[in-house]
Amino acid sequence: MKSKMEEKMIQSANSACAKIAPLWSLENYVAVNPFLGFTDLKFEQAAVKLKQAGATMTMPISFYLKEIEQGKITMNDVEKALTNLPFNLESNPNEFLKIANSKANETDPRQQMLVADIAELLEDEKWSVFIIDRITSWASAFFDKGQSLWNTANKEVDMFESWQMEALVDKTPVIAGLKNFHNTLKQVPKNTEEAIIYCLEQLEIPADGQEVYLYALLMKVGGWSSYASGIDWDNNLYGGSISNKLNFLAILLTWELCILKGISNENLIAYWTKFRAKLPEIQNSTTSSYTQEIQLCLQNAHDLATQRKLIQKVNEQKILKSQEDQQIKAQAFFCIDVRSEVYRRNLEMITPKIETKGFAGFFGMAVDYSPAAQESSENQCPVLIPSGPKVSDEFKDQASFDKVFKAKKSQQQYTKSWKSFKGGAVSGFSFVTSLGLTYIPKLISDSFGLTRPVTHPNQIGLDKALEEEKTVSLNIPFDDQVAMGKGALTAMSLTSGFAELVLFVGHGSTTVNNPHSTGLDCGACGGRTGEVNTKVAAKILNNADVRIELAKQGIEIPKETLFLACLHDTTTDEITIYNQSQIPKTHITAVKEVKIWFEKASQANRTERAIRFNSESKKNDAVLFRSKDWSQVRPEWGLAGCDTFVVAPRYRTKGVNLEGKSFLHEYKWQEDQSGGVLTAIMSAPMVVTSWINLQYYASIVDQKNFGAGNKTLHNVVGGFGVLEGHGGDLRTGLPIQSVHDGTNYQHLPSRLNVVIEAPIEAMNAVIEGNQMVRDLCNNGWIKLLAMNEDGKISKRYIGNLKWESIEEKVATKTPYSEMESANY
Amino acid sequence: MTTNFLTSIVLISPALFLLLAIIARFVKPISKLKKLSSAITIIGLLTAIYAVSLLVINGTSQTSLIGTNGLGFSIRIDTLSTIMFSMISLLAFVIVKFSHNYLDGDQRQGIFTGRLALAIAMVQLLVVFGNLFLLVAAWVGISFALHRLLVFYPNRPKAIIAAKKKFIFARIGDVFIITSSVLLYRVFGTGDLQVIFSSVSELQQGDLQFEAAVVCLVLAAIVKSAQFPLHGWLIEVMETPTPVSAMLHAGLLNAGPFLMIRMAFLLHYSSLGSGILILVGGLTAIFAAISFTTQPAQKTALAYSSVAHMGFSLLTSGFGLYPAALLHLVGHSFYKGHAFLSSGTAVEIIRAKKVLAERRSGKLLRILIAFISSLSIYILFATIWGISPNENLGLFALGIILILALSLLLTTAIDSANYAQAIIKTIVLSVIITNAFFAFEVGAHHLLASELPDLKIIQGFNLILMIAIVALFALAILTQILSPRIKQNGFTYKMGVHFRNGFYVNAYFDKWIGALSQKKIYKEINHQL
Repeated sequence: MKSKMEEKMIQSANSACAKIAPLWSLENYVAVNPFLGFTDLKFEQAAVKLKQAGATMTMPISFYLKEIEQGKITMNDVEKALTNLPFNLESNPNEFLKIANSKANETDPRQQMLVADIAELLEDEKWSVFIIDRITSWASAFFDKGQSLWNTANKEVDMFESWQMEALVDKTPVIAGLKNFHNTLKQVPKNTEEAIIYCLEQLEIPADGQEVYLYALLMKVGGWSSYASGIDWDNNLYGGSISNKLNFLAILLTWELCILKGISNENLIAYWTKFRAKLPEIQNSTTSSYTQEIQLCLQNAHDLATQRKLIQKVNEQKILKSQEDQQIKAQAFFCIDVRSEVYRRNLEMITPKIETKGFAGFFGMAVDYSPAAQESSENQCPVLIPSGPKVSDEFKDQASFDKVFKAKKSQQQYTKSWKSFKGGAVSGFSFVTSLGLTYIPKLISDSFGLTRPVTHPNQIGLDKALEEEKTVSLNIPFDDQVAMGKGALTAMSLTSGFAELVLFVGHGSTTVNNPHSTGLDCGACGGRTGEVNTKVAAKILNNADVRIELAKQGIEIPKETLFLACLHDTTTDEITIYNQSQIPKTHITAVKEVKIWFEKASQANRTERAIRFNSESKKNDAVLFRSKDWSQVRPEWGLAGCDTFVVAPRYRTKGVNLEGKSFLHEYKWQEDQSGGVLTAIMSAPMVVTSWINLQYYASIVDQKNFGAGNKTLHNVVGGFGVLEGHGGDLRTGLPIQSVHDGTNYQHLPSRLNVVIEAPIEAMNAVIEGNQMVRDLCNNGWIKLLAMNEDGKISKRYIGNLKWESIEEKVATKTPYSEMESANY
Repeated sequence: MTTNFLTSIVLISPALFLLLAIIARFVKPISKLKKLSSAITIIGLLTAIYAVSLLVINGTSQTSLIGTNGLGFSIRIDTLSTIMFSMISLLAFVIVKFSHNYLDGDQRQGIFTGRLALAIAMVQLLVVFGNLFLLVAAWVGISFALHRLLVFYPNRPKAIIAAKKKFIFARIGDVFIITSSVLLYRVFGTGDLQVIFSSVSELQQGDLQFEAAVVCLVLAAIVKSAQFPLHGWLIEVMETPTPVSAMLHAGLLNAGPFLMIRMAFLLHYSSLGSGILILVGGLTAIFAAISFTTQPAQKTALAYSSVAHMGFSLLTSGFGLYPAALLHLVGHSFYKGHAFLSSGTAVEIIRAKKVLAERRSGKLLRILIAFISSLSIYILFATIWGISPNENLGLFALGIILILALSLLLTTAIDSANYAQAIIKTIVLSVIITNAFFAFEVGAHHLLASELPDLKIIQGFNLILMIAIVALFALAILTQILSPRIKQNGFTYKMGVHFRNGFYVNAYFDKWIGALSQKKIYKEINHQL
């Protein structure tokens, strides 16, 4: 039985762990809100807590001052920000800026809270660097997915036990000067919870200071903590141990104890006693430092400026009416992804005959997909929800399937033999002697993008013909198929007015030599391409029996309507229509026409993107080449720039260039009497878009803690993550190259503006009924805006179900927009 | 005079790279610099083609000395230097091209290009040296240029630490190369390579100064090529952009083995030098090759692999198989250059592994079949190529390693497979490997025959060393072949951890140089962290 004190310790440990956001393997990288554990706090309060653990949530003051200088942030914005926040700052904006100027280069010093920190104050040795490197050495091997031929960590036991085993063998700490490392280690209990209790007792952490201490400890090795958290997240959905974070915490605590007991500095205990006494005070503190208050205020002003420009842009456009009366040949559903906005705009300019709509790129098909010959399956859905229905690859006939199966299996077998020879300890010498010279042609052809360094994993064992005929086999009961079809159509606001062709356009990316490639794929499909999901959606809805059943339930799909699965390659901007050989003769002409539109739109899109790349001659080719260039660190800009999410019918924003910064979700509130669709949108896509937005946000404001660092230094570890250089912590988030072009940020630290066209009451109902949505909206993690029946952004959510009208003066022109209009 | 002039033309390439090194940071805009550096690498390639043509038409040539008392600047164009020069030029072309987009946006791209160009110029000069003076200059120059590249990001503590280790070893290496050159100059009275090569055979057996000179030369090569226990820095220098790693592992590290091949005539007469090479090269090769298999981080693994391959090249030189050593060196350069530049594919490689291969059964009969197959393949093609295995002991040793390596390849296929296609492909691969082995060995031998001493008879202590090393190699491969039959136990687990940590050599060096010291390393850069 645990005592009450011990219960409290485990409780503190669990709460500290709960603050660590998950991190997924680079095999399927998914954007995540790094501040996930703090959304129950106000944005500003979270900033205080993160600062205590050495992380920051704002840019340096100088960044905002520069924006003010450039006129991007106006004095009005600053003034409003000052009144918005509950700080005791100078209320006169001019005076405030003077103070800000004097503190332009100030940052708060990191709070010293850990034994390792104190040891560094007293001793010359940089112990924290040492500890992180030791942990990385073990964790890389423990989590290794197959990089090393000889895996030297014990993976049979749980994390904490595996680490203990290794620590007892590893001689490095003793060599580095921790003489009694192994003795201290032997005293620590084997059981995780017991070890945590033992260490907390030995370290004598005051009960009401434990949580802040433990959180700071986890953040010190935030990358590996997050990776452990990611495993817990998945196991929570799909089963398995969910105590990985706790195990990891036990490791870190043991290290702290070993430092305390291992360093023979007589002052250490004395200092540590003094420092740990301050922990309760730190834990209870909710106030920002003066510098931080200024930063938060300026961040608020920056957000107001972003919002002001958005409102201005949307409200000033020529009002467009719904175009339902026009002759629509095809309806194309794109992912809500910001990259779709650019493409859709270009496509709409090519022809009015195609209508584009936005929906989460998994098209409501949260499937569990097993590729041919693969034993494990992939969750093709957002990480917020578990995958359900099982699907797998299907080919024309069993013979084709067998062919692929055999090709994949035997290729893998061959590769395994080849790798054992090439990477074997001594056989590698024979490999180089005999075949080293064959790398000359490879080196050259890879250099010019004529070949790929390795075959894309999805293409192994498939030739063009098989690729073309590959479709999905639905192992889903008929009733479930009907329910999935109905659910998707309803959520898409597509229950009538079907065009001849309905295209589900998922998306994926094409890059080479890019460890972060899956981060450019579809997040809604769990860091994978949308291929499977679009095929599932199309297959279900093309099924005549399903249609009969749907008709009974009120959704009448005309006989002539054909659903097609497509994929938008966001790097090359080409759109592939899948399984073209299976298109019925009746639709071939129509599809041909669509293909021509796509081709033209792709060209236009590449031209637009080339401008952002600032690339030189032969724009189209230059953009295309990025997808094949093994030396390219910026194959595309991904979702960089995302700062808006519009939930409304397309015609509301059709007349405005949203510059690839906006997620777009199709929604007609008039057709959603129950509010069910709105609830779904606000609790799923809206949360996901805020995750993406905050992932980018965090990667900018704190590259060190939440960014992946410099791509040119990346050292892929275990096939699942990157280190920056030789050691250090596992890196999370986005590389600097993904947010910065060398001169300018390509993503600015703006919190997401969510514009929804729906009645205020309906939105309030959702906010009230959903904890996650309430936290995001009330605590300032997203900025909610309402669009009225004229398509104007008219109200701003200010928390606690209250809204304020957007002042008319926002719509008056600022010098910036005058300049813009003067150009035309 | 004309030959002199024609040979000197080769210097255009290093001269242009030197020029680039000086002006790169001033060339603006960056697009201009990219065009300029591309042009220079292409001229480098043309120069290499020119050098090859020159060699084919004129044969070996050496420029007359610019200097005094037999010391100074002179370059030598022969098969070895032309092969090396061409290799470096091709690598330079690829790596510079790669760095254009890779470092795009880095405010210091100009500086980077300049430092890279300096390194290329130095290596190009090294490989064509015709006089000891140029050897020393280029040798030291390479390490200087490398140092500048390693600290390209000066605010990274780990970059500074690794560069510091490298700096210490490089200076030790400098001492050896200078001592060696001085001794050679005293023995031969000149720094001219041609003269030294032609008069070495007249030297008296057991000349102490000569022996010392060769040993110093060997030690210089060992230090340069990061051999155990001086390899630590190489494992840690991925703290600088990938193209630097590619250049370092493909073009700079192999200065050691190159020197051994270049100085083969000297080495030929020193059994002590050869012995040291066999011992250090062999042990390093086996140690690093095993450590390599335990590394979960891509670039770290590649670094261990490089240490191992350098060891193997030195070992082969120790056997007196200089053509084989050169073949290995050149093959490794292209392979490792490619491996580093494509190191970002590591995630895709792991993704591809989701389709599981059959586990190995570990059945002895299947292993035996694989062994007999590889032995048959080897003997069959050795006969066809007309190579008698016992003609030379060193070559025999390489043959044994190849047979064992092929056994591992075939075992992995035959022992685990139910896919005939995979087995057939593997057998075809084995045949290709065997033939490539013979073709390249024979080819390299013929290319270099005129420039190298006759095959050496390995005897005495060196023979014992050689047998011991080959036995260790065989043991390592057999362990892998039999791995499904070997039970994991406390011992194998502990060895695994020790190997992953490189037997703590780096930990000791870290302690020694104060790698964790805030005063020594972190002080200046602390505020930037």
